Amino acid sequence: MLMLHPAYQTYMGVPGLVFAWAIFLAGLSLFSFLIYRRWLPIRSGAADPRFDSWWKRLCGLFTYGILQKRQPRYLWAGVIHIMIFWGFLILGLRSIDLVTQGLGIPILRPLMETRFGPLYSTLRDLFELIVLGACVWAILRRALIRPERYRGSHQFEAYLVLGLISFLMLTDMLYEGSAFLIDRPEQMPWLPASELGALVLQGSDHGFLTVAHTAGYWLHIVAFFFFLNFLPLGKHFHIITALPNLFFRRLSRGSIKPARWDVKDMDDLDRIGVENIGDFTWKHILDFYTCTECGRCSDNCPANAIGRPLSPKTLTIKLRDHCFETVPLLGLKQGEPGEDEPESMVGEIISGDEIWSCTTCGACEEECPVFIEYIDKIVDMRRHLIETSQNPKTFNQVLMHVEKTGNPFGKPPSKRADWIEETGAGPVRILKKGDRTDVLFFVDGYGSYDPAAQSMARSIVAGFHAAGVDFAILGPLERDSGHQVRRMGEEGLFQLLIEENMETLSQISFQRIVTCDPHAFNTLKNDYPGTLPVMHYTEFFAELVENHSLRPQGPLDGEDVYTYHDPCYLGRHNGIYRAPRKILRSIPGLKLVEMERSQDRSFCCGGGDVMLWHEIEQEEMRMAEVRIQMAREAGANNIITACPFCFIHFEDAIKTGGLEDEMRVVDLMGLVVST
Amino acid sequence: MNIIVCIKRVPLTQEVDLEVDERGTDIRKDALAYVINDWDNYAIEEAVRLQEEFGGTVTAVCVGHEDDEEVLRRALAMGADRAIRVEPGNRELDGFVVSRILAKTLRDLEYDLILTGVQSDDHNAGMVGIMLAEELGLCHAAVVTGVEPRGDEALIRVELEGGVDEVSRIRLPALLTIQTGINEPRYVSIMGIRKARKKELSVINVEDMGLSEEDLTPQTVVEEVSLPPETEGAEMIEGDPSAVAGRIIQIIRERGVNI
Ligand code: SF4
Ligand code: SF4
Repeated sequence: MLMLHPAYQTYMGVPGLVFAWAIFLAGLSLFSFLIYRRWLPIRSGAADPRFDSWWKRLCGLFTYGILQKRQPRYLWAGVIHIMIFWGFLILGLRSIDLVTQGLGIPILRPLMETRFGPLYSTLRDLFELIVLGACVWAILRRALIRPERYRGSHQFEAYLVLGLISFLMLTDMLYEGSAFLIDRPEQMPWLPASELGALVLQGSDHGFLTVAHTAGYWLHIVAFFFFLNFLPLGKHFHIITALPNLFFRRLSRGSIKPARWDVKDMDDLDRIGVENIGDFTWKHILDFYTCTECGRCSDNCPANAIGRPLSPKTLTIKLRDHCFETVPLLGLKQGEPGEDEPESMVGEIISGDEIWSCTTCGACEEECPVFIEYIDKIVDMRRHLIETSQNPKTFNQVLMHVEKTGNPFGKPPSKRADWIEETGAGPVRILKKGDRTDVLFFVDGYGSYDPAAQSMARSIVAGFHAAGVDFAILGPLERDSGHQVRRMGEEGLFQLLIEENMETLSQISFQRIVTCDPHAFNTLKNDYPGTLPVMHYTEFFAELVENHSLRPQGPLDGEDVYTYHDPCYLGRHNGIYRAPRKILRSIPGLKLVEMERSQDRSFCCGGGDVMLWHEIEQEEMRMAEVRIQMAREAGANNIITACPFCFIHFEDAIKTGGLEDEMRVVDLMGLVVST
Repeated sequence: MNIIVCIKRVPLTQEVDLEVDERGTDIRKDALAYVINDWDNYAIEEAVRLQEEFGGTVTAVCVGHEDDEEVLRRALAMGADRAIRVEPGNRELDGFVVSRILAKTLRDLEYDLILTGVQSDDHNAGMVGIMLAEELGLCHAAVVTGVEPRGDEALIRVELEGGVDEVSRIRLPALLTIQTGINEPRYVSIMGIRKARKKELSVINVEDMGLSEEDLTPQTVVEEVSLPPETEGAEMIEGDPSAVAGRIIQIIRERGVNI
């Protein structure tokens, strides 16, 4: 029995080829139009240089795109996604084959007739079943388990697309299965999906089989183009944009983007920060398109966890919807986002509280499988709020103090080294212009003036003395590093601090800078111009422990159980997880347990910037309280940290929670020098 | 509504261990950071708010040296339209001289309202505003905590002793000395202040103003400045929070505050 390809049959006198071409051209033109409209906001987005380090970008594209490295951080969802994604890669070829066959230009046929053909067919069939299974699984997961993180996502769209993918698989099975029954080839590879199709159709008469075969083909083609054009309309745009987004991902860590990438001198800018959708950089708009609404970011966001009005996923969804409204697919607006918007973006669509709720902890960015950025966007919106005086009023004095006295407390610079005497830290050399030192100990504002942080600085000094390090501090010459003011959005003030500190540093000769505070470390390392040889004290002392210059002696009695809290700006933002643990392990008799959320999944203590001076009313619990709870669940009665802000927040949470008898917060260096 | 705000730059003295200078008539100011006088900050904010609502211009005026222009730039960044600095040279200033200089500066300007702070953080005399009003022959009110213009009058709220508020009407033009808390002054960013450089700031030299020697002679002479003697009297309250709170309430009551 001869079987004609559906595209070569005629339908009511019209050749199938005509239909195939009609579907193809209509589908493709519509798709091009949609992509063009989506391109407009990207085109008019602000500059963002992402075209460097091609090799590094390609490697990342391979690891995070093709191998989907971040997916299995949520195991089963990850496995399902990887199956569907790989299925797409393999079945994409199949779809091209089917479409081009219909067009009468079967470009893939020669390839399929080689030895590769049967191999591919088997693989294709296998993946059709795998993808189908994965889709059913995904649908069931959504419907029955209902993971919390999907709340607020476009659920209907998710079901529709899962259904559509299943439909594509089923139509192909129908197409191939019926062909089997009509005309079973003598020699054929193992084709499980087609066999399954044939099994279902077994016993049907010839007429029915032909109809099934023809229908299978056309339905597949139509569904394919429908799917293609559906993608740019919603969250499944990520099927197209995820790989480019991964390629253009942010390569640097810890830093904040400048006010504008393309304008060096801020004085030349009329406006600073992001007020409207058109103020975002093109890459940030691509981020909006790429979000899969998987909710992993919000699931890990500490602000979200304690009931603050911020959910990173929702933030992106709102901004994407707003972007789509600003440049609609149809409509008169000629693709100039930012013009006569009815609703203002910052302030109305995204509320001030939402913007100030973020601690810039980076948990969202660490988790996102497609590397969507949040901190830069949030800081950019904060910049707009600061420049237009819409900041919380409590910031006014803090920022004024930093400007006038170089520290947030408004204490006189001349007293910046008084902590040495106050804490009895022992001899500390205070540098003057022209001096030299091996280690320049950058104490920063909290270490200099806040009693809790001062004692951390004292322990570091004790460590320097114990290891015989040549060190000195800047004392009254030092100004705050500016980590906080930059993340609060006061970019002008931050630049001022950089200028002053760089000027001071240029007049002193030193081998390296060691900081007490991970925030100062981060900003000196990643935000300051050039490459300063800066280390956090945990890195510095880990080296000394390694070469035995520092040896914790007195063993602990082993009664206390310790856990180490990774400060966001040491861990996630700078990848320093091992150094502090190395120091801790060198303390004889120390019992160390890990919390479930540790290392790159660490849960922020409340943060070292905005939260020190601004309270978000809606929060149900403090982050530090949640964290203390996590430490207790891990079986620890001591939580160790290497950051003054964590220390302050934890101490506070222990006091307000009345846990003084059960829980203690310990400063890492304090613990080391006490032994 | 045209408004003139008179402002001043003062040293930030909190947390500083003040020292008396060699002559014993002032404190040492060389290592101090300078900021806008807090009361004046509220006065500027009030002026800018009134201008935003009723239109007109805001002019900020300061008698001071070049360094003091910083507070004028701040005022411009907050929304003032222009600024005037009167350079006093090496002359010694007191409240009287400053008020005379200001009076001369403002006499030919057009205004409906002059705002000053109630007092300045450094000398706390609270004289300049009132003396200026007298010199210009204006109606005036001190310690104002609310202003509502109504045609050629304004409804003003004044804080009296014991926290009593008095609302009255005042004929315009008038001079009001503004109390802190009347509003919430806005933050102006460093970039905002830098951008305000584009706005007009004119400088007048006091010597060119034609003021008489009498006008320029201080009427107050500081004999001596000294730090208050350290006294006993700190009481450390110990015990659990409710006991501590109880003792604090008791102390407050003992000192005659009704709570
Ligand atoms: S940086 Fe942290 S607080 Fe901010 S949105 Fe991301 S996870 Fe939430
Ligand atoms: S931003 Fe990333 S992690 Fe968050 S919902 Fe979107 S894709 Fe998922």
